Amino acid sequence: MRLRNFLTLICAGALLTSAAPVKNKPSANRRAKAVLTTPEVAPVDIICFALYTVSDGTLKLTAQLYPIPDGETHTVRLEIMQGRKWVEVAKTKVINPGWTAPFRVEDWNDSMAQRYRVRHGSTATYEGTIRRNPTDQDELIVAGFTGNSIQPSHGGDISRQDIIDNVKRVDADVLFFSGDQVYDHFKHYAAWLKFGRDFGEIIKDRPTICLPDDHDAGQPNLWGESGKISTLSGASDGGYSRPGVYVQEVERAQTSHLPDPVDPHKIGQGIGVWFTNLNWGGIDFAILEDRKFKTGPAGRVPKQGPRPDHIRNPEYDPASVDVDGAVLLGDRQLKFIDNWAQDWQDADMKVALSATIFTGGAHIHGDANGRLHADMDSNGWPQAGRNRALGSLRKAFAFHLAGDQHLATIFQHGVDEHRDAIWSFCVPSIANLYLRWWEPLEEGLNREAGSLAYTGDYLDGFANKVTNFAAANPEKKPSGKLLNTRAAGYGIVRINTQTRLITMECWPRNVDITDADSEQYPGWPRTISQFDNYNPPSWGQLGELSFAVEDPVVQLIDAETDEILYTVRASGKSFTPGAPSGRAFTVKAGKDSPDTVVVKSARVGSAPQRVKLN
Amino acid sequence: MTSHRSDAFLILILRLSAGLCLLGWAWVHLYWEGPYGILLWNENTYALAESWGIGWEEFVGSGANDGLVQTGLKWIGWLYVVCAAVTISVRSGAKIQMTVLALGTGFLTVLSYAKFLSAQLQFPMFLEHGGQMLSPALLGLALTWGARHRATVAVAIIAFIATFAGHGCYAIGWLPTPGNFHAMTSLVLGVEFETANLILRIAGVLDFIVCIGILIPATRQVSAIYATAWGLMTAIARPVAGMSLSLNYWGADQYLHEAVLRAPHFLLPLFLFLLWRYSDETSPSKKASSNVSEESRTDESS
Repeated sequence: MRLRNFLTLICAGALLTSAAPVKNKPSANRRAKAVLTTPEVAPVDIICFALYTVSDGTLKLTAQLYPIPDGETHTVRLEIMQGRKWVEVAKTKVINPGWTAPFRVEDWNDSMAQRYRVRHGSTATYEGTIRRNPTDQDELIVAGFTGNSIQPSHGGDISRQDIIDNVKRVDADVLFFSGDQVYDHFKHYAAWLKFGRDFGEIIKDRPTICLPDDHDAGQPNLWGESGKISTLSGASDGGYSRPGVYVQEVERAQTSHLPDPVDPHKIGQGIGVWFTNLNWGGIDFAILEDRKFKTGPAGRVPKQGPRPDHIRNPEYDPASVDVDGAVLLGDRQLKFIDNWAQDWQDADMKVALSATIFTGGAHIHGDANGRLHADMDSNGWPQAGRNRALGSLRKAFAFHLAGDQHLATIFQHGVDEHRDAIWSFCVPSIANLYLRWWEPLEEGLNREAGSLAYTGDYLDGFANKVTNFAAANPEKKPSGKLLNTRAAGYGIVRINTQTRLITMECWPRNVDITDADSEQYPGWPRTISQFDNYNPPSWGQLGELSFAVEDPVVQLIDAETDEILYTVRASGKSFTPGAPSGRAFTVKAGKDSPDTVVVKSARVGSAPQRVKLN
Repeated sequence: MTSHRSDAFLILILRLSAGLCLLGWAWVHLYWEGPYGILLWNENTYALAESWGIGWEEFVGSGANDGLVQTGLKWIGWLYVVCAAVTISVRSGAKIQMTVLALGTGFLTVLSYAKFLSAQLQFPMFLEHGGQMLSPALLGLALTWGARHRATVAVAIIAFIATFAGHGCYAIGWLPTPGNFHAMTSLVLGVEFETANLILRIAGVLDFIVCIGILIPATRQVSAIYATAWGLMTAIARPVAGMSLSLNYWGADQYLHEAVLRAPHFLLPLFLFLLWRYSDETSPSKKASSNVSEESRTDESS
């Protein structure tokens, strides 16, 4: 009976999928496919949009052009308003495929805002503002986005004007697009132009960080394996499904305006790397590539479910998939993070940006047979690589901002014990292609009073320690085609360099976020301290250190192993270092770098010290 | 080869074609997962299930247990196994087994439709599964009416054209060429993207040439033999490109079935080639000319 029902359902589903009308259909064209074309534009409109960052005195700006007709110049100019005159400061040739025009201007004065315009030929002009570095501003606002589906079937055709308006209302300082800006796997260029038409109005006037993720690169999931060629459907064998030249075009469009990569050696198929850092407004952002070096699971781990990357068997042994040689961030990137964690020049706080979070952050995945025990597309796998990454990031007290999951969440990660590592905020999708739910079968441990049952301490599907504080689950059944039933939205993060507080806001679409009556998704807003990002419950405290200077940089080193426990910029003139009991630490400090040993053999409970720094 | 023996051999090829295809898909269903997500994860399908009194949890499972979806998919896999077994045992006039073969074609059609929907309604995606879909039906026709019957040959030609025209649409670039086409070409032949792209474009053109060539008596054999070789190469390209000694089971569980389920892509052209070859060998005109040659050789020697 069940089988007969099922077969009938399959056949009926086949007919209904293409034929039947949809309930609650908001408009007649909602079921239509998005039409993605490269529009023909007049020469005056040939510049679509421009993205930029400024770092260490260098402006990098990439102008995105529509196709230049034959016979027209491929030279594009960048001009700056000086006094009342436009002055040309750079010139570049458009790179095709992709029609990108990357500019680089050294010795950039970031202490003042400057008007710019990109020019092509005699008529095309695109104007914007390079902001001044807001170093004197207490609060820096980052607007975080992910998952920019344009398909009408889940609201992707609904205007982004609400996002534009709200970003302008709060005057966000930095935009962060964490991935899947483009979902079309073959027409990145056309989709990127549409992205520019949708978001260019806010991008042109503020530093913007884009991380190309799996769909941007033209595949459903991405385990880059240093540029290997993938042949398996779903790409879980590791590597890139689309040709290297395609991936290069994608990365040129989305990342050529980022600060220079710290380790620019190319990977397989001539694909570049772009992991780097951006210091803006006293916040040092690590821009990470959590997909590029990661090992594909297919054939490496024992099969535990219907896909090589999915574990459905809850009885499996998590250690069996933590296989030797499986890479997450890779040695090159880990070395960068270790150096970045120690460098506090011009930085009060640190933020790590990556495509996804370091845990399996969902239980139900948008398929009919949706409950998965674990998903290897998340950074919860491989566990050893995940713990190594978190071990490095917490040494900088870094707050983590990411996307990808299509499910907004707040987690605090744990490595050796619950809550001993960084906090992460996974922002919701702009329009949600694929639904996920955080829906554990058991209630969380050590929950806050009055909090929802699914919050608290858990082991994720890989036996990683995680603590959930919020999840913006979509409606339970696949109902409706509207944005907010599918938990679409975006994140706003307010980072205060004075108070060292970080406030996470998670907004649904089409509300005025400055209206006091507007409500965020349940569980938001939430405010944490910078110092919560490495404050294990089992730790004690060393004696308070008092300094004669404001906000010195303090570093703790294990006296026995010489391993750095952490480096951080203290807030004010005193700092009470947290540390594990039973071990001795050397404390180093300095105004901008920890270059002076100020305490030797400090232990939990040791006496307060007055420290004099040169 | 006598007509009787050659017919038996032709039917053996069709048995292999249908059997391997169904077996490959059975592996997908039982070991991995059938590609029906787009049909099942659909509010209309769920609404229909609900109207029959099937609740949400019963439909998708709770996580602690399987729902109708998981159980059903597993059962479909076993049905594929039954269909594959029937391709070995089926004989002319065995009505129940013939019905099972028809069911096999039905299953493969629904599966191909699901893939067509997943490919955002690209008709060539459905088309290129033509050889697979029609393989069980073709075996049934051959057993009922004979391997050389006009209807059997016509359906085999339709299956051939569907497969190669569908594939050609992607290879030639009329629809975006799947990344794994380039990847397999690059890895198997050890060439860069530009060369792989050129090879695929040429292969795409040849796909269409053989679709026309198979309809012309003078070129049908050469078209069929090229298609046999190309179909075999594209089928085995998956395991050749993907398998590695460093993987669990050398990656056989990931890739081998990809070649097996594509058996109709080379066995149906082989069927057509041999059918025409045997027909040529046994046709009166060929026999006559062969007799004349024999006689003239005898005269010369005497």
